[in-house]
Amino acid sequence: MTDKRKSSLILTTPLTRRTALKGLAGGLGAAAALGTAPGFVRYAQAASSEPIKIGFECHRTGIGAAYGRWYERTTNAAVKLINDAGGINGRPIQLIIEDDGTDAKRGTEVMEKFASEHKVDVVFGTLFSNVVIANGPTAGELKMPYYVVSEGHQVASGKMNRYVFQPGITDVKSQVMSVAPFIVGNLGKKVTQIFPDYAFGYDHRDNLPPAIEKAGGKVMAQIAIPPTEKSFTRYFPQIPADTDVIYHVMVGPAVLTFVKEMGEFYGSKGPQLFSFIDSLEAVDMATPGLEFLNGSHFWEGSPRYLQANAGEAQKFYRDHVGIDDNGAAKGDPKDVSTAGHMFGCWETLYVIKKAMEDAGYQGPDDKKKLIEATEAMTAFAEGKEHPQGDKTFNGKIHQCFGHQNISKFEDKKLTVVHRTSIEDGMYEPEGDYTTEKL
Amino acid sequence: MSAGLALASVEPAFAHAGDAGFVLLLPTGYYLVGGALAVALSFAILAVVPPGPLARLAEWRRVLFAAPWEWRLVLSWLSFAGFAALLLAGWWGSRDPLSNPLPLVFWTILWGALTIVEGLVGDFWFWINPWYGPYRLLAALRGRSGAEDGERALPGGLAYWPAAVLFLGFAWFELVYPAPEDPARLATVLLVYYLANLAAALVFGYSAWVRQGECLSAFFRMISRLALFSGRRDEKAHKRTIDLALPGARLISADALPASGILFLLLALSSVSFDGLSRTFTWLGFVGINPLDFPGRSAVVGVNTAGLVGMAVALCGAFLLAVWLGHLLCGSAVSFRRTAGALAWSIIPISLAYHIAHNLTEILVNAQYALAAISDPFALGWDLFGTAGMHVHAGITAGYDSAWAIWNSQAAVIIAGHVLAVLVAHAIAWRLHGSARKAVLSQIPLALLMVFYTVFGLWLLASPTGA
Repeated sequence: MTDKRKSSLILTTPLTRRTALKGLAGGLGAAAALGTAPGFVRYAQAASSEPIKIGFECHRTGIGAAYGRWYERTTNAAVKLINDAGGINGRPIQLIIEDDGTDAKRGTEVMEKFASEHKVDVVFGTLFSNVVIANGPTAGELKMPYYVVSEGHQVASGKMNRYVFQPGITDVKSQVMSVAPFIVGNLGKKVTQIFPDYAFGYDHRDNLPPAIEKAGGKVMAQIAIPPTEKSFTRYFPQIPADTDVIYHVMVGPAVLTFVKEMGEFYGSKGPQLFSFIDSLEAVDMATPGLEFLNGSHFWEGSPRYLQANAGEAQKFYRDHVGIDDNGAAKGDPKDVSTAGHMFGCWETLYVIKKAMEDAGYQGPDDKKKLIEATEAMTAFAEGKEHPQGDKTFNGKIHQCFGHQNISKFEDKKLTVVHRTSIEDGMYEPEGDYTTEKL
Repeated sequence: MSAGLALASVEPAFAHAGDAGFVLLLPTGYYLVGGALAVALSFAILAVVPPGPLARLAEWRRVLFAAPWEWRLVLSWLSFAGFAALLLAGWWGSRDPLSNPLPLVFWTILWGALTIVEGLVGDFWFWINPWYGPYRLLAALRGRSGAEDGERALPGGLAYWPAAVLFLGFAWFELVYPAPEDPARLATVLLVYYLANLAAALVFGYSAWVRQGECLSAFFRMISRLALFSGRRDEKAHKRTIDLALPGARLISADALPASGILFLLLALSSVSFDGLSRTFTWLGFVGINPLDFPGRSAVVGVNTAGLVGMAVALCGAFLLAVWLGHLLCGSAVSFRRTAGALAWSIIPISLAYHIAHNLTEILVNAQYALAAISDPFALGWDLFGTAGMHVHAGITAGYDSAWAIWNSQAAVIIAGHVLAVLVAHAIAWRLHGSARKAVLSQIPLALLMVFYTVFGLWLLASPTGA
């Protein structure tokens, strides 16, 4: 009900960019004005028909804008569905979007604005880690429940605070650990890592070797590439000759150059390749130059391409977000989605809904109850609310754990060839937020 | 703080591999060489072709029609009403800069697209300037005839200094300030800007102030000298006659600019150049920012302010040095000031080319958002123009084929802009010095600068970007 437009109330037109975004502006006046619309009949029976305000801090501009666009579309789709089904505790969600420019300092300003000006019930949606890291302490000071969709390890590391959660997407440490058994078991035991020489690369550098060794393999070499590098050929001779698998997680505009040059270096008979879709998220896999990746494997959070064995929940989710069988926007095949990650927005919203229902959430006075109800969750079943798959949730570190998809790139498509178990990505908790005072 | 530092070591990043990545696969190096050769060759051809016919072509005009002055008043009030509505939307509409019409209309339609229309077609801004109507009303209330008061200049030594200072502020707000697209902040900034300039117009006179004071009007007016259509006053008929001329022809006959005018024009080019430069791996590496992990604009306000000013200083220095060297080479009796002031007009085609090349992709996508946003400016569920629910085709600029098409368009525009600049500069030099030989000699250093700027412009567009 974040939009007064009829399409958000009656399922007649396809979801659009604006459908779920608009502020109520008139608050209750909107409900009164449209009181005859079917969507509102249900709300009228709730104790209060005032909306639940969710502040959506979105990377609308700046370096994260390509992700922000799809986070926004996915979020709109989920909010619309929740509202069409009666909202949360009989109250509609009002989504208030603020752009943070993918800028850490602006992120904290937005967080404060959500608290003081918009007076939201929860804040949701941040992706980029630098923004999450800056926002976490602010959320704690403001006692604002803050649900991030970042896949960073910062929440699970125990270094944030009791108000910060990541219940809708697994963290990078878990992802890296869980792919190791597949790599060693199927691609080869001798692994060489190539990664950009900064924090993102270090997650892979630090978390992969122990998992590879546990699976019976060995990391032969770790090659760190300076982030400003534009050409990579001179690094390839550093790859040990007996390497079975190259594990590469390059990101940024030079990824395509990296792939092309690696193809030129190895020709048709190089080692096996394993990567994370982060490298090519939102990039059309049918792009010239990517042929060299044929036969290589990728981690995907949620599969970009509709799989032959996809369940009803996955189809339902894709249909409502508006992506086609190739993971691109319906009717705009070149607008490839960030399918590997954006499901996290959808699932997080359903976690917020469930937690509010469990807490009997009525308003900001119930924020402590909401925190405790979120922490009390232990598992999410696969279904329309969790289309990526079932998950467990560790209330002590505020982090979910789930299955990961390993997809093979063939015929210009990614096909899931292995799905990790939740246990593959489990690790000892590094903290316990529940001991902190609320 | 220490917790923050510790956390910084566990950072996933999502630097996008897309569109900018495809450009890196294209053989852009050949374009850089080709562009440089094309511009150099244009100069070489001009050196052997007699300038007479060129000058006659530049003087060619065709009268098309005459437009009544009253249109201007009506259009200005309509424009003012639209502006006021947009400000209200900025404060009370959606907080999302891609749903609120104010940032989209101001940055994409006005600054992005209208600049191109002004440079290619003609001075629409003259007709729709939102200051004109309210100015006329206020002037009339103060007992002054507010009628169009001719080609006035600002008094004293002011000249283009107000426009230059305001433009520097405008460019800083666009390129350095962390949140230029925030609807409410933009609305407040624009309101203050509007009122201050309205007051200044009342003090200095409308005509002088929009020519040399208010920086957008001044810029539009100057860049429209490049366009196909131009207007001129017909006092008797109380009309404005619209003429057709060849692109760039009216730059050749323009009066020499004072120092402040040269600075103003070069600021416009240097700011769009810095817009490109500040995103490159090269610049980010230079200022110590990891381009794959760009921390946001807030973290680079200081260095980018210095960069914006530094770029302007460097470009002014390079331009004046080239003109001065040419002046020495040809040994002309014409003063250096006048030569530089006349030749500054030749920068305009380059300025427009850079503007088009750097804003093309944003216009293609954000114009769609703008079209959707104006149908529901206050996020109240309206659908004024039937576009509120349209799906934005962001894929229009995505993928290898688009990258190829966009790169080729950008390269063509950059090269064409510089070739036209060389042509215009040559014709200006001939008018100044009255001798083909002197014109060629005087232009050698400036032509070299233009060859360099062609390569620089193409390099900016071909470079990996991270911000």
